[in-house]
Amino acid sequence: MGFTFLAPLFLAGLAALAIPILIHLTHRERRDAIQFPSLMFLRRVPYRTVRRQRIRHWLLFLLRVAAILLVAAAFARPLLERASLGPAVLGTAREVVILLDRSYSMGYGDRWSRAVAAARRAIDGLEHDDRATIVLFSDGAEAANHRSGDGTTLHRVLDRAKLGSGSTQYGPAFQLARDLLEASDLPQREVVLITDFQRVGWEGQQDLRLPEGTVIRPIDLSDPEPANLAVTGVLLDRSPQSGSNRVAVSARVANAATVPVSDLPVVLEIDGQELQRRSVDLPSDGSATVRFGALAVPDRVTPGRVWVEGDRLSQDDAFHFVVAPVRAVPILVLQHPSARSSETLYLRRALSIGYDPPFDIEVKRVTQFVPSDLDERALVILSDAPFPRGAAGQRLRQFVAGGGGLLVVLGRRSGQGAWTADVAGLLGPGPGTVVDRLGGRGGTLSILEYSHPVFAPFSAPRSGDFSATRFFRYRRYEGPPAAAVLARFDDGAIALTEVAAGAGRVMVWTAGLANLWNDLPVQPVFLPFVHEVARHLSGYRQAPPWYTAGQVVDLALDPTAQPWGAPPALEADEEQQELVIETPSGERFMASAGGDRRHLELRGHGFYVIRPMEGTAFERRVVAVNLDYVESDLTPLDPEELVGAVTPRGDGDDRAATLAAALTPAQRERRQGLWWYLLVAVLLLLLAETALATRLSRAAR
Amino acid sequence: MTATRFLDPTVLSRIGSLELLARTVVDGFINGLHHSPYFGLSIDFAEHRPYMPGDDIRRMDWRVFGRTDRFYVKEFEADTNANFSVLFDVSGSMQYGSRGITKLDYGRYLAACLAYFSRRQRDRVGIVTFDDKVLEFVPSSAKHLEIVLHTIARIQAGRRGDIEGPLLKVTESIRRRSILVLISDLYEEPATIMRAVNRLRYTGNDVIVFHILDPAEVEFPFEEAAQFEDLESGDRIPVVPETLRDEYRTLMSQHLETLADRMAQSQIDYSFFDTSQPLDYALFEYLSRRQRLSRVR
Repeated sequence: MGFTFLAPLFLAGLAALAIPILIHLTHRERRDAIQFPSLMFLRRVPYRTVRRQRIRHWLLFLLRVAAILLVAAAFARPLLERASLGPAVLGTAREVVILLDRSYSMGYGDRWSRAVAAARRAIDGLEHDDRATIVLFSDGAEAANHRSGDGTTLHRVLDRAKLGSGSTQYGPAFQLARDLLEASDLPQREVVLITDFQRVGWEGQQDLRLPEGTVIRPIDLSDPEPANLAVTGVLLDRSPQSGSNRVAVSARVANAATVPVSDLPVVLEIDGQELQRRSVDLPSDGSATVRFGALAVPDRVTPGRVWVEGDRLSQDDAFHFVVAPVRAVPILVLQHPSARSSETLYLRRALSIGYDPPFDIEVKRVTQFVPSDLDERALVILSDAPFPRGAAGQRLRQFVAGGGGLLVVLGRRSGQGAWTADVAGLLGPGPGTVVDRLGGRGGTLSILEYSHPVFAPFSAPRSGDFSATRFFRYRRYEGPPAAAVLARFDDGAIALTEVAAGAGRVMVWTAGLANLWNDLPVQPVFLPFVHEVARHLSGYRQAPPWYTAGQVVDLALDPTAQPWGAPPALEADEEQQELVIETPSGERFMASAGGDRRHLELRGHGFYVIRPMEGTAFERRVVAVNLDYVESDLTPLDPEELVGAVTPRGDGDDRAATLAAALTPAQRERRQGLWWYLLVAVLLLLLAETALATRLSRAAR
Repeated sequence: MTATRFLDPTVLSRIGSLELLARTVVDGFINGLHHSPYFGLSIDFAEHRPYMPGDDIRRMDWRVFGRTDRFYVKEFEADTNANFSVLFDVSGSMQYGSRGITKLDYGRYLAACLAYFSRRQRDRVGIVTFDDKVLEFVPSSAKHLEIVLHTIARIQAGRRGDIEGPLLKVTESIRRRSILVLISDLYEEPATIMRAVNRLRYTGNDVIVFHILDPAEVEFPFEEAAQFEDLESGDRIPVVPETLRDEYRTLMSQHLETLADRMAQSQIDYSFFDTSQPLDYALFEYLSRRQRLSRVR
């Protein structure tokens, strides 16, 4: 049994042992004389000058020495080596982390009630010194309480616990459990894992081993042969094949069971009304696609859902979405007064076949341009035309600053006089000379900024080849200092630049788009390139038809609204707009559309309705939220596999040594608290010493 | 302090029973407990002796003559009122006490009790107090009990003591044979003590010595080294009790044994008391010795 001391310097106090030794060796002479009847006999005894050095009152001496010894030892904070003692001295107090799975798969049958009951049993099993933390987890994990040994508090936490809408992810839960256990100073560690052990929740992370000495107690709530039907996704097809302003709805239905399902009714509801019903046969552990007839797109945002008959897990039996009317992006193409219409043919044709979004194109000569042409306009393309001057030019600059997009296509007519110096901040000093690459095979685009939204769709392999395009002529151009170069030719000349101006953006393309200076219009990448440029400059945002639970929406942005020519964000005076949020469960609460708390986390599945307070410009929004369909796969994982993956690798036999290493000496000393017992012993010794000394003193008198 | 404070009823209750015992032993004498050491007229027959010329023929026992045809004289124990005096050493050493009562107080109680008790025997009581000289001398008288008690109450100790000089004075002053009770701690050489006491004895007095010491004087229980101060002389010497305790006890023991032996040789009643012993024990000791002496006659 090894002894050590936390503050060994206090052992210097043992020097005080000299005090009782001296006291008991020294025959202290009384200060006052003792009156005695006669010195007759005392005078006859020879007086000795040398006294014998002998300890007097051995018992009293030992008491005093022991008291000093124990006081010095107590202040030195003694501690016993854990390895030689085991939990008997270290205590049996446990740090218990109860991992309670609240993913929506726990709503299968009575799993959730069984899980809560198991958690309550774990709480009731806590001893006096134990502390427990309840961690509720799904795709994230959160500690529902600060570590506590109070059963009442823990039961209240369970009373408030509710089934979530997230999917199962064991990683965050074990990570949080590890953090909690590592921060604990209790000697015993235990994790109670209450879950349905879904295989989809475990990705085989290798770095999630719990601290040494942790005991994992799995409570398996899975069912032997679960059966689950789920609508895992919906496709809203707005392609031209669906018809003008129509949308075709397709749904994917999965059967996670060992028996096939036949004639399963699948229902499409729009705005709460059942519109179509289909039957589908599903193989075991398989899925099928159900296609509904094309629907006319309503003129407002309309909620819809596809659902199947309920089973034991109802959360994934319906898939929610919203259908919003699509508004064409209004584009104004300004061409040179002397230009032929064929010069914009490829551009117009490319834009006209867009359906996501569609583009509404108007072509004008720049001399006919009036400021009112920019009303409700999203993008202006100056196709080899000079920048408008006067009031029209001023309005165009305002249009850009207000969020509008401007694409300047340089061509053979875009000489030095293409724009004046008053727009140099927007477009640079002016176009340069024409570079003639007619000799040889012409120039190519060599540097593309694939991280830019315009080129991002082409970044993947076989997603578009710009290198096949030949550029025979292009105009030299130096953009404004703030411009970003998005593409360069093989000689280093600029092909495409972008500059932000206020809330809008300006791009300059230096090689024309008329199949005269290059063959880009006849290349496959032309159409998507033009669409991406138009979509980017117009600020087009595609409203997602649904969100997945756990995602966050910005209340200040309405993706379904397209305020062409105006900034998409709220104006300053609207930023503090108060909104009423109605959740899928019917709960209502207030939220602000401005400030730092304007984000709403979507927790439930169904439809969130975001309504403004009365008398505001905000429009009613409907947000569809679906659960992560991967959670529909109830295939269980072998609990031993999961437990084995996170079980510490330490040898169980030397667990005491492991625990000893886990605790600092100060923690061990605080846990043992031997100094307290020593001081009690000192107190008893001093009481005995007082009684004995008093008795001896009286006897001496 | 009143004269009667020494007459503690609890002490005298034992004395009363002893008095009853004495009356049983010495039947016929006048309310007396002790016998007169002198033969004379009395109602208590002592012995017969052959007639000697000059004897009073009225004391002839004619009945013995009728039976034996010889002349015998009847002798009776004299029933006199004896003189009883306390010789009280009030030197400074007597004021020592380690257990609440000093030797002087113990001697006070003892002297008062003996005087009162003797007065009940119709003895004449007196007292002599002395240190290095005689301080108070109250002659024995049947009327002096109150004076004796007042004298005892007024006693104050504190001066150097001497036993030979004062007792010589007492020897010269006491004309009539008396019962003399010496109460002292006897811090003198045994030879000196015996010389002084024997003078009293040789003049025909019946001497009883009560040697009173404190238990601490016998056991020497002191632990701490200290200056020990003589209560009479004020002299001081450094003493380490632990180193000389055994030798002190040996010397004290030898002193007591020497006194006891020499007193016995001189036929002097000697009793040693320490102040932890009950007072009535001392009185009982005294009466027992008087009873034994009376049987010797």
